[in-house]
This record gives sequence, C-alpha cells and structure tokens, in this order.
Amino acid sequence: MASKEYDVLIIGSGHAGGMAANVLTKKNINCLMLNAGPVADLQKDRTVKAAHELPFHGFGEPGRNPHIVIGDEFNANQWVGEREVPYTHETDARYDWVRVRLVGGRSLFWARQSFRLSDFEFKAKDHDGFGENWPIDLAELDPYYSRVEAIFKVTGRKENLPQFPDGNFVPMEERPDTKSIQRLTDAAKSKGIAVSKMRSSMGENGLASSINLLLPEAAATGFLDVVPNAIVREITVDKNTGKANGAYFIDRHSKREMHVKARVVVLAAGTLESTRLLLNSGIANSSGMVGHYLIDQIYGCKVVAAVPEAKDGKAPAGTMGGSVFIPRFRNLKKGEKNNFLRGYALPISSGASPDAKIFAEYGTELQKKLDGYRGACVQGGIYGEVLPRYENYVRINKDVKDAWGIPVLHIHAKYTDNELNMTRDAANTQEELYKAAGFEILFKSDKIFAPGYSIHELGTCRMGDNPKTSVLNKYNQTHDIKNLFVVDGAAFVTGGWQNPTMTISALSMRASEYLAEEMRKKNI
Amino acid sequence: MSTLRRRRFLQSIAGAPAAAALLSEPLPAQQKPAAADAPKLPTLTVDAVGETVNRFFTPVQFASLRRLSELLFPAPAGMPGTAETKTAEFLDFLIGISPADRKKLYRTGLDGLNLAARKKYAKDFSATDATQADAIVRPLLVAWTYEPPADPMIRFLCEAHDDIRKATMNSTEWAEAANKSAARRRGLSSGLYFNRID
Repeated sequence: MASKEYDVLIIGSGHAGGMAANVLTKKNINCLMLNAGPVADLQKDRTVKAAHELPFHGFGEPGRNPHIVIGDEFNANQWVGEREVPYTHETDARYDWVRVRLVGGRSLFWARQSFRLSDFEFKAKDHDGFGENWPIDLAELDPYYSRVEAIFKVTGRKENLPQFPDGNFVPMEERPDTKSIQRLTDAAKSKGIAVSKMRSSMGENGLASSINLLLPEAAATGFLDVVPNAIVREITVDKNTGKANGAYFIDRHSKREMHVKARVVVLAAGTLESTRLLLNSGIANSSGMVGHYLIDQIYGCKVVAAVPEAKDGKAPAGTMGGSVFIPRFRNLKKGEKNNFLRGYALPISSGASPDAKIFAEYGTELQKKLDGYRGACVQGGIYGEVLPRYENYVRINKDVKDAWGIPVLHIHAKYTDNELNMTRDAANTQEELYKAAGFEILFKSDKIFAPGYSIHELGTCRMGDNPKTSVLNKYNQTHDIKNLFVVDGAAFVTGGWQNPTMTISALSMRASEYLAEEMRKKNI
Repeated sequence: MSTLRRRRFLQSIAGAPAAAALLSEPLPAQQKPAAADAPKLPTLTVDAVGETVNRFFTPVQFASLRRLSELLFPAPAGMPGTAETKTAEFLDFLIGISPADRKKLYRTGLDGLNLAARKKYAKDFSATDATQADAIVRPLLVAWTYEPPADPMIRFLCEAHDDIRKATMNSTEWAEAANKSAARRRGLSSGLYFNRID
C-alpha cells in the first residue's frame, strides 16, 4: 500500500508530542503520531497485589533494570527495559536514564508538580555570567504558561516572588498549617527564607497526561492518526531541497522496516531519544552542538528530624502532617557570596515515619526507634539546578545496538563541585531550620543520586539566536532544517530546579502555533 | 476524520478516564471471549506448596546468613521469625541470580563474618551467641540512605540488613500473620502492579 504524505509527523506522544498534536490538528493540519511503544490500558493493565504475590517478592528481577533506582517490582513493566534498549556510560560516571515508551510516555506517571521557570533561569547568564541566556524570557512565555496551566488545572498559592512566578491557578481551599509546619515556616521566615506550598496539576481524576488532557481533543478533530509500536530509526531528508521529508520506522513486533512521508517533522520523543534520533540521522548538527549541554536536576540530600512532642505516638492533635515548599532562595541578589552558582528548592513534609536505614541499630533496639518515631518526623530533600556544561554530552555508540538494530546512546555526565557544594548547603540549611524549629535531628546526608535520577534530563539541542552555538531557534525550529522541530526538553538552555513539564508544554504549544502559522503562510 | 478513525483512537486509549466514558457500548454477547463467564479457580502461590532449593551459598555461608537474619531481625510479638519466613532461603535464590558484584558482596561479607567469628571465638559465625555476634556486627553498623559506604564489609551489612528485613516482611508467612491484625495489615507491602504489556 502506497503511503500517504502527512502534513506533520510527530514522533512521541508525551506532553510535548500531545501538545503539538492538540495545537496542530485544531488548525486542520493532518498529523501522524508515531510512538515507539504500545498502548496501556490503565484500568485493565494494573492490578493491586501484595509483595509476596510477585515473583521476586518486591525486589524485582535482579539485573533487569539496574539504572531505574526509582522503580520497583510493582512498576517494573512500565519502564523501557534496559536489555531491549540499552545505553552506555563511563564506568566511573553512572547515569540513570529512565524511560517510558507507552503511548503517553512519561506523562502517564509524572508527579504533577507544576512550576514555571523564572527569569533567574531564562536570563541566568545576565544574572551570574555563567553559560548562555535563553533567547526568550518569562514575559514571552507567560501567555502560553497560562493556557497550559488552565488545561492541566494547576493549583498553587500566589506569592509574588520573582524566583517563583505565579501562574494561572485553579482556586482551592487551603487547609490551615499544622503546628510542626507553622514552626518550620516561622524558622524559615526568621532567616529571610520565603516559604510556599507545592504547585500541582490536578488534571482529571488524578491523571494529567497527554492521553487524557491533550490527545482526545486532537483525535476529535479528525486530523490525527496515532500508530503505536512504531520505532523511528531515522529522519529522512530530501537531497535536493535539504528538507526533512519523513522517517524510516520499524514495526516493534515484526521488525519490518517502513517509511512514511511528511511535509514537516516534529520531534517529541523525550530529550535524549530525540537527540539520539538526530544523531543517528546525521542531521541538524552544523553547530556540532547536538548532544551537548546535557543537564538534569539534583535529587537526594535527606535530612530527617523528629518533633519531640510527637514521639511515642503522643502527637497532640494538629501537630503533624502537611508540607511546605521552599522555592529557590540562594543567589537571588547579584554579588551574593556562596560557594556555588544558581540555587535549589526544598520540598519538606511532616508526619513521616523514619526509614530503618537511618538508624545504626538492629533488632529490638531498631524496632523501638521505628515505633517511637512513627509519624513523628519532618523530612526533606533537594531539587537543585545543574549547570549546563559542554562536557556533559551524549553521542552515538555504534558498537551497541538495541533490539531493533538501532545504535544506542552513550551518556557522559558528571556533577561538579558546584552541584556538590549546593547539596551540602541544602543539607546544612535544612538542619538549621529544623533545629530552629525545635526539632531533633535524626539523620542528615548530603549524598545525591547519580545524574539522571530526577527523570528531568534536559538540553542537548539547546535553543539560541546563534546557529553556531545552538541547535534550535527560539521557536524550537532547527537552524539547519526549517521543517524540522524539536519540542521536548532537549531545547532547554538552563534547567533550573523546577519540574520542567509546564515549560516543555508551553514551549511545545508556542512552537506548534508558530509552525501552523508558517505553514499557513506557506513559509514551510 | 472518519467516525471509525476517531473511534479507533478512543478505543486505543481506553485507560484514559475521559475516553473511557465514551466507550460505554457493551460488546454483543456473541463477541465475548469464551472464558469470560468461567468461574475463577482458586490458586496458591509457589511459596505455599514448595521449599526453595538452595544452591548458591556454601553450607557455611548459608548458615552464617541464617544466623545474621535471626540476629538482625528477631521475630516481633505475634509475627514469624526469619527462620519461619525462610528469609535466608529466599535470599540464596535472589542473590544467586543477581549480578556478579552483588554475589561477590554477599560471599565476601558472609565469609568475613565467619572469619571474624573464628578468629575471635574459634567458632563459626552461625554458632555465636547474641553477645558474640553483636561484637562482630555492631562495629559495622552505620546510618545510611541512598548509597551505602564503599567499605565491602560495611556495605554488605547495610545491604544484607535491608534485604533481610524486606525479604521477611514481604514473605507469604509474614502476610498471613499480618492479616490477622488490622495494625499489622496496614504495614504490609502492596501496590498497583503493572502487568506486562505486549
């Protein structure tokens, strides 16, 4: 059967691809969405089970997915298997790449924390001199953020803090803080640290995915075809025009190779898969920047404290429970002296029970501690910014291929003193806050997870005005090929500490509207 | 888009609540799979009927692991101990199919405990009493979180302690005992299991 030519081929179906489909199809643009994995039925494909009913009693199959630290045996089947789609990294520089290929991608499972970037991130170079600015600022993205927040139904408390821009929030009733949270808030305020609340997407019925918020509307237009189990191997380019004209893809089950034609190609396969595809296709890289400036976010750094009056199950009513969210507070003033650039946020919760690992005890003594501190703890971690560095990069490893014969990615990423010093500061700050609030410190660690753990990999096709130092222009369009766009996290210039989903979605919306207008004007 | 095309898409994302509401038409009776009305057969798990065949650790290593298990996680009141939950037997299986570095960590660690016991008390670690075992184990205890320390013996103890607790509390025997008490039942490990999707 001869293939038809689509107006736009969208590769990937997560928030970025879903948003592109949503925008483009509403403008009567005929889209094909190829997705590497199958469709999951979130009702039928999930069953409540006890750990002892699982083949490995909750441990998971040893060696199956060694880099998915966040995973367990319950959710092992939702991730991309490392045996099927391996990747490589230096032996002394572990990178945990966590992927989902189900239709909807990682939008099916994200934590729904919903933040905007601020001009401390968009114009970071102006502020501290490191790296590059984005070619856009908050004001330019603001209307798109607002529309995305409306779709996702984002809740939050307005603060009027420049480092924590307010959004188009859905009103919700705020419950009064518990006493432990009040004490922590007072302690932070006494140190000049602003305290807020988590901002989250409510979505629909607890799901804020492309499959329920974006793709159904796109499908309803009649201008979207979705093909699961279609693994794109290479984007094809017309030798005469230099324009992208489609892609080779492989049927996941039969391994049959196919080709599809399209007037425009939109990459939305997730930061590193989009970059892998560009590198395997050998295109859009006249700058030599494809793959470079890989960033993610620092997670880890655990500090646990006990609220003294809540020990032994004696917490007075209204003492425990709730949370605070402390947005970035370091390096906001020019000339502020710290031993690191940029900043971090502190997510802190009250009412937790301690993990057995934090006590150097065993047997009945350990059990006494676990019983005594049950529900009496306050604990927090870090969401920290990672500096974008040229030397953190990905490249193709031609010696290793995935189950479909496609060369895999080699990831080279290391944290530096900047990230380590930032994490130490986060641990020390939490300790100070907890002590000031009258809590008893039980455990403090400034250890961080390996790069990649946050599942917020960003960069590697950064945007910019200069085609020699960037891959994309400010509309997520490749400098080299005008009908090729990358609308996922690969476009990021800086990553900030914020969950990137709102920014990815806003950028994809903006890029897709630009693309639609350029197509209408016949510029593309 | 044709109605068929849209319908196909909505069917394909039936997990999405918004789409599910649009898919309320029942299948005609003749299209239902033949097995749909068959009564559900009660079944048991493998642990309910069989014993794990141990083949990874040496007899001395296995005896050390059993001793370590009962030392680190003595049975709480009303709950089975590590001998009843066959914790060492399960870990023999699990470590036996684990990557080489984890196998080495356990073998080195168990041999290290035994060596220390022989040196200090001229007996195997499995034969030590509580005081003797404590003298060997306590210096190796540390508080930790995501990544245990690099020292092989300390790392072994961190990982083994965590594994012993988890294997015990995730066992069938523990679940059966916990189900007799509301408080214990709440502490059982369970979750939404994602089936394999073709």
